[in-house]
Amino acid sequence: MAKPTPDREIEADAALALAPRESKDWRWSLGLGIVILAVIGLIPLTGDQSALGMWTFIVMYCVLAQGWNFIGGFAGHAAFGNVAFFGIGAYTVSLVLERNMPYLLGLVLAPIIAGLFAFLLGLPVLRLRGHYFAIATLGIAEALGQVIQSKNVGGTAGEISLNPPGLNFELTNSLFFYGFLVLSLLTLLGTTWLTRSRFGYALVAIRENEQAAEALGIATYWYKVGAFVLSALPTAVAGGLFAYWQLSFDPVGEGGAFDVSISVAMVLMTFLGGAGTILGPILGAIIIEYLDQYTSISFTAIHGPLLGVLIILVTIFLPQGLIRLVQELIRAPAGVKQSYPMRVRQGVRRVTRFILSNGI
Amino acid sequence: MAQDIVNWILLGCFYAAIGLGFSLVWGLMNILNLAQGSLVILGAYVAYWSYTVLHLNPFVGILVAMGVLFCIGYAIQYVMINRVIRAPFLVTFMLTFGLDLLISNVLQDVFTAGYKAINTPYSSAGFEVLGARIPLLNLAVGAIAVALTAALSLFLSRTRIGNAILAVGMDRDAARLMGISVANSYALTFGIGAALAGAAGAMLAMTLQFSPIFSGQFTLFAFVIVALGGLGTPWGALAGGLLFAFAEVFGPLVPGVGFGLDTAIAFVVLVLVLILRPYGVLGKPFYS
Amino acid sequence: MLELEHITKRFGGLPAVEDLSFRLRSGEVLGMIGPNGAGKSTAISLIGGALAPTSGTIRFQGRDITRLAPHQRALLGIARTFQITQPFAQLDIRENVIVGALFGGGVRSRARAARRADAVLERVGLAHKARLKGDELTVADRKRLEMARALATNPQLLLLDEVMAGLTPREVGEAVGLIREINQSGVTVLVVEHVMRAITGVSDRILVLHHGRKIAEDAPDAVLSDPRVVEAYLGERYARQRAADQARRGAETGSAAFDPPTPDDTWKEGLV
Repeated sequence: MAKPTPDREIEADAALALAPRESKDWRWSLGLGIVILAVIGLIPLTGDQSALGMWTFIVMYCVLAQGWNFIGGFAGHAAFGNVAFFGIGAYTVSLVLERNMPYLLGLVLAPIIAGLFAFLLGLPVLRLRGHYFAIATLGIAEALGQVIQSKNVGGTAGEISLNPPGLNFELTNSLFFYGFLVLSLLTLLGTTWLTRSRFGYALVAIRENEQAAEALGIATYWYKVGAFVLSALPTAVAGGLFAYWQLSFDPVGEGGAFDVSISVAMVLMTFLGGAGTILGPILGAIIIEYLDQYTSISFTAIHGPLLGVLIILVTIFLPQGLIRLVQELIRAPAGVKQSYPMRVRQGVRRVTRFILSNGI
Repeated sequence: MAQDIVNWILLGCFYAAIGLGFSLVWGLMNILNLAQGSLVILGAYVAYWSYTVLHLNPFVGILVAMGVLFCIGYAIQYVMINRVIRAPFLVTFMLTFGLDLLISNVLQDVFTAGYKAINTPYSSAGFEVLGARIPLLNLAVGAIAVALTAALSLFLSRTRIGNAILAVGMDRDAARLMGISVANSYALTFGIGAALAGAAGAMLAMTLQFSPIFSGQFTLFAFVIVALGGLGTPWGALAGGLLFAFAEVFGPLVPGVGFGLDTAIAFVVLVLVLILRPYGVLGKPFYS
Repeated sequence: MLELEHITKRFGGLPAVEDLSFRLRSGEVLGMIGPNGAGKSTAISLIGGALAPTSGTIRFQGRDITRLAPHQRALLGIARTFQITQPFAQLDIRENVIVGALFGGGVRSRARAARRADAVLERVGLAHKARLKGDELTVADRKRLEMARALATNPQLLLLDEVMAGLTPREVGEAVGLIREINQSGVTVLVVEHVMRAITGVSDRILVLHHGRKIAEDAPDAVLSDPRVVEAYLGERYARQRAADQARRGAETGSAAFDPPTPDDTWKEGLV
């Protein structure tokens, strides 16, 4: 192969100027994630019970969004029915408690059953293309909720109403809060591992170009099923914790264990924060759930429409998510050395131009 | 049994109306309009209002609903969806979901969640054939639905505008080179889809009750109907409607199933059909 | 190494490839040419596994691979490039190639995959652009990336689908050199191409497809003088006219009939 000719040497120097920043990104993301979770972890110390309740929900949604990120963000396959795993987790725990079996058995069984369900469901459903996969998963979640309701699983019309368990220690709200927090931390670590692992590379390759991935030796189908199962695990454990905590819920309808708006929330939060990033889901979950909780208390009437408007604005103007927006802002254009303030200025210009450009 | 068959066919035709607009938008623009259900309910409200406030004949109300919804749909597409049309499908998916949330919640805030219906003196009129009762209104609605399907089919294949819309659906950039305004065509397509949803809503108001709570269900139904019947032709909506209605009417009669499982049945049927015939029963890869 | 036996591929009623049979010997470079729509890319997709044949068998190293999925064939040692380049847009070039090494290439650890990726990038001449993202490349670099990714899987058979399309004459020359070097390192190559000058320079044998059927299979010069081939490309009238010209003036070198003059030649013609 011929050596680079003279006019190529200039290119070479310029390209070398690009610092290999990419490989350090995960350290920043992981570190920042831990810091954020740690700060949130201080909430119970304030003694404010209503804030504690709100933030428990927020952290729960962090877990849900992080779980969805595996199949929707990394693998690029938008599943719209992940609430099914949440519901499975909730009902597994409920059924275990109703039968007076060991307290924590439900929590152990929940991810196992949900994972199995994800595997069996994934086998036929992941053969479907984009749109169909999305709605098939949506429909399965809806159908599951309906089945539980009509077959009176766990109670009439599927309504769960558990008695507080008689245990040796007191079950405070803080306990559940920290339960979700630890779960979120574990999922954060899992996500970070994924970005560095061979499995993660396969998923990203599948997301970017499935045909090319296959031609390179990736058994795309099985990796997709794997991602789907992976997304079910933290979601189911969160569902189980939800059951332990609330002790009373319905299968369908608002706030139900199979409520479709939970599925949508997962997607939107990950989306807003940045699908396929480590921090994205956490960021998105905090922003949206905080807004949601705040407006549902103070502005009940406009709560629904407000969420709708928010979704519209995000999808039109911020489809790549906040994290990627930040990355784009501080990125140095190919081959040019720039200081950070200069980069940000140019980045802002670039990003604004992109946001305002018409699609057609 | 005869009554079941009558119910099946009439319901199937009505379902076709629900799926028509959805099929058009999906087939030509590759957009899953998650706001379909909300648009249907909106159409129902428009028809209801035109009957109770303007005292117009409910059948005229169908036209009014179509007109209003067309304008709304055109605006939605032109202002919002056109901006994201080149983005990955998840983006448009979420956008239409946001729209759905917005519309159905606004409707709920303004009109409350109470059930409403257009009640006319002839609402319960009907006649008997072979032991089965055929309600007049349902029959009229079914006939209108089939007429709409035929009209859409003719519009797309015989008129200049229809051809232009098809062209844009097949190859956006090539159509642009032919001098067709893509933004306008897309807006027209969505507008027509919304108008059809409005018609379905008006028909809904005449024959059943409606409330903003149902919007999500109708969107899901529209999807199943179109996915079953197949994209590529308006008649797919009719085929899908009949198939779906069949599952709904005869499904609960299967021992062990019982009632209250509509969605579950629908999706099991859907997944099975999609696995066997990925393009749906009448589906073709391209709309024509 | 590779055998196609009576391979037919129909799309609906239309046969894209019809009764195609040929053998590819280990270590050779086989060129595949033919007018547009002849079925060349379809043939590559059939060998690579993206398409399944309507009938016929494909054997690779004696083993029947007709029913195998693309990723399984990649693991057996068949690698392909895509005519319309398919980079992993969000990943940088280095990571694109790492994916190839990690999976088709059978490397387990990311570190070793990275080392192999660097070596491959060096080989194709992309090492100095390793940090650019997949969608920031020029056409020539994208083609190089396609080849690099395929090479990272350590293939025994490399299928190149029009890698020279869109390249300048100088880039074509570089690509030809690269293909020769790859072949010399022990990889059997099947090249589908339109640029005649390039394919004659690189192939041991050439196969000609027309309307999905094989119409010639021979050494480069023989194939390009074959009147059937000329007729397929340029039409019957031209073939007759050319035969008449040749009778008058004597034969001209094979590929000149097919390629437009390169910039170098044109300016010379302007001189008296």
